[in-house]
Amino acid sequence: MDFKLTEEQELIRKNMREFTEKHVDPIAVEIDETSRHPEELFKKLAEGGWMGIPVPVEYGGSGSDYLTHIVAVDELARSCASTGFTVSIHVGIACMLVLLFGTEDQKKKFLAPMARGEKLGAFVLTEPGAGTDVMAATTTAVKDGNDYVLNGTKTFTSNGPTGDTYFVFAWTDKAAGRKGMSAFIVPRGTPGMEVGTHFKKMGLRSSQTSEMVFRNCRIPQENLLGKEGAGLLMAMTGFDHGRTGIAAQSTGILQAALDESIRYSKERVQFGQPISRQQAIAWMIADMATDLQAARFLTYHAAWMKDQGKPFSKEASMAKLFTSEAAMRHTIKAVQIHGGYGYVKGAKVERLMRDAKITEIYEGTSEAQRMVISGNVLR
Amino acid sequence: MPQMIACFKWVVDEAYIRVGASGDLDMNAVDYKISDYDKNALEEAARIREQAGGSVAAVTVGVPEATKGVKDALSRGAEKAFFIQDPSFRDLEPSQTARILAAVIQSRIPYDLILCGEGSSDLYARQVGPRLAELLGIPCLSFVQKLTVEGDRVVAERRTDEGQEVCTAPMPVLVTVLPDINTPRIPSVRDTLMASKKEVVPVRKEDLPDISSPFLETVSMKGTSLKRSGTRFTEDPGDVKAFVDTLLQKGVLK
Repeated sequence: MDFKLTEEQELIRKNMREFTEKHVDPIAVEIDETSRHPEELFKKLAEGGWMGIPVPVEYGGSGSDYLTHIVAVDELARSCASTGFTVSIHVGIACMLVLLFGTEDQKKKFLAPMARGEKLGAFVLTEPGAGTDVMAATTTAVKDGNDYVLNGTKTFTSNGPTGDTYFVFAWTDKAAGRKGMSAFIVPRGTPGMEVGTHFKKMGLRSSQTSEMVFRNCRIPQENLLGKEGAGLLMAMTGFDHGRTGIAAQSTGILQAALDESIRYSKERVQFGQPISRQQAIAWMIADMATDLQAARFLTYHAAWMKDQGKPFSKEASMAKLFTSEAAMRHTIKAVQIHGGYGYVKGAKVERLMRDAKITEIYEGTSEAQRMVISGNVLR
Repeated sequence: MPQMIACFKWVVDEAYIRVGASGDLDMNAVDYKISDYDKNALEEAARIREQAGGSVAAVTVGVPEATKGVKDALSRGAEKAFFIQDPSFRDLEPSQTARILAAVIQSRIPYDLILCGEGSSDLYARQVGPRLAELLGIPCLSFVQKLTVEGDRVVAERRTDEGQEVCTAPMPVLVTVLPDINTPRIPSVRDTLMASKKEVVPVRKEDLPDISSPFLETVSMKGTSLKRSGTRFTEDPGDVKAFVDTLLQKGVLK
C-alpha cells in the first residue's frame, strides 16, 4: 500500500498553492461579497492547464489523471471554495461526460475548448420539482426530423449565467422510465435556451447559479450525447466524478478551517495564554485535523479507484458524504474558536462556514449519498 | 545564442520548520523547495532563452532523494539537468559545492553564461557563485537585478550599497541574481508532467575528483524567537513621543 502522491502530483499541489496565494487569495473576499465571476482568474487557470487536468493532450487537456485534478481542486478550494467548485464541475462533470461518452467529433468540437479553458461547461439536470428524485423531471426532448426540440425549465444550474457549453437532460421517452432520459450538448446562444433567474446564495457566492429555460429549443441530432435513452446512466457516471470533486472541495474547505483555527488560536491570548493551550480549543483542533486526514484519504481513494478503472460510485458517495458533513461541522467550530472575530464579514472562517453548507446539498444531498451507499452495501 | 547553466539548491522549506520551546529545530515534517533566488536564476535563463535562443541546463548538487527538485527545475524551462548526487552531499559547505560544480561543469557542460541565485534560502552564505567563477577562471557579476545578452557580452545592472551600477562583461561569465530580476513562473500542469520526460544526467561522487574536507563545523543550530513587550502605541502625539523615547531607550535609535 502506498499512501504517497507522485512527485509530479506533489509539485502540482505546490504550484497550485503558489497560484492561489498570488491570484486567488487577494480577490477571494471581494468576489464573495460581490458575487462576481472572476473572468480574469479563469483565464489564468486556463493558461496554467488547470481547467482540463485529466483530459488527454489531443483534446486540449493536460493529459494527467483524475487524482491529480482532485489534488488541484483540494488546494484551490482551500483558498476559495467557489473557484474550486467551478473548476470541479467544469472538469469533473462537463469535460468527463464528453470524454467518456462523446463521439470523436464532439470531443474535438466541445471537449477541446473546454479542456483548454476557453469555454465553461454546465450540468443542467435539476428541476424545480426534481432534485434528489431525478425521475420527477418534466423537461422533454421530442424528435422532429433530424433535430430534437427541448421544452422545460431547469433550476439551480451552476455556471448557468456564465457557461458556454450546457449538458441538458430531458425525456426522449418518459414511458421507458430509467431508459427514457437523454443528454444533449447545447452551446450558449442556441435559440430557445435562456438563462432565467439568477440566484443570490448564502455561500459559494462567486459561483453563478440560475434557472435555465427551454422553449422550443432545437438541437441537432449530432449534439445528442451518447445513446438515446442513456441519459440517466451518464448523469450517474457524471455524479461519480462530480461528487469526488465536491469531496475535494469540502476537503479544501476543511483544510482552510484548520489552517485558520491553528493560526488564530496560537495568536489569541485569553487568561494569560494563547487559547490553543486551552483544552477546549485544542480538542476541537485535534478533531478537525483527524477528520481532515480521513476526508483526504476517502477523497483521494475514490479518485484513485477511478484512475484504476474500477467502479467508484460507493467510494465517491462515501467521500462526499463524509467530507461535506465534516466541512460543515468543523467550519462551525472554526467560527466558534474565532469568537466574535469569526462572525465578522471578511473573516475567512465566516465565508468557509457559509460555503461549507452547500457541499451537503448539491450533486446529491447527504441523504441521497446515504441512499447510494446503503443501496451498495445492502445489495 | 548562449548556452546557459542555471545552478540551484534543493533546500528545506523554512515554513515547515518547527521551533521547540528551548529553541531546538524540529525538521521531522519538513518539505523541500528550490531555493528562492535560484528560482530567479532558472527563470532568468528561461527568459533569455525565450528571447535570444540558446539552451538551458539546470545543475544541482544534493542527496539522491532530491529527484523532485530536479523535476521542479525542469518544469521551469531547463531542457536538461545534471544531478550531482551522493548521500554525503546533505550539508556541504560553499567551498565544497563550488568545487563539485566546477569539476562537473568543466568536464561535462559547455557554457557561455552561468546563473546562480545571490544566496541560498537556508544558509545565505553567498559564496557558491563567486567561488565557482573563480575556479572556472571567468568573470563574476554579483547582485544583478537586470540582465541582457548583447552579442558575446552581457550587460548587467548591479545593486550596490552606493546605488546602481551598470557593467558589462564578455561571455563566458557567471552572474548571481537578486530576486528583483524577474518573477519566477508558476509551472503549468503540462510543464510539470513534461519535466519527467526530459533528460537527467546523473553524476556520482565516484565520478568526481576528491572534494576537500569541510573547514566548518556546525556546533548547534537554534531557532530565534521574538519576544514582544506587549506595549501599545496609538497615533496620539503623546504616544508617538513615547514610542520614539522607547526606541531611543532600547538603543534601536541613536
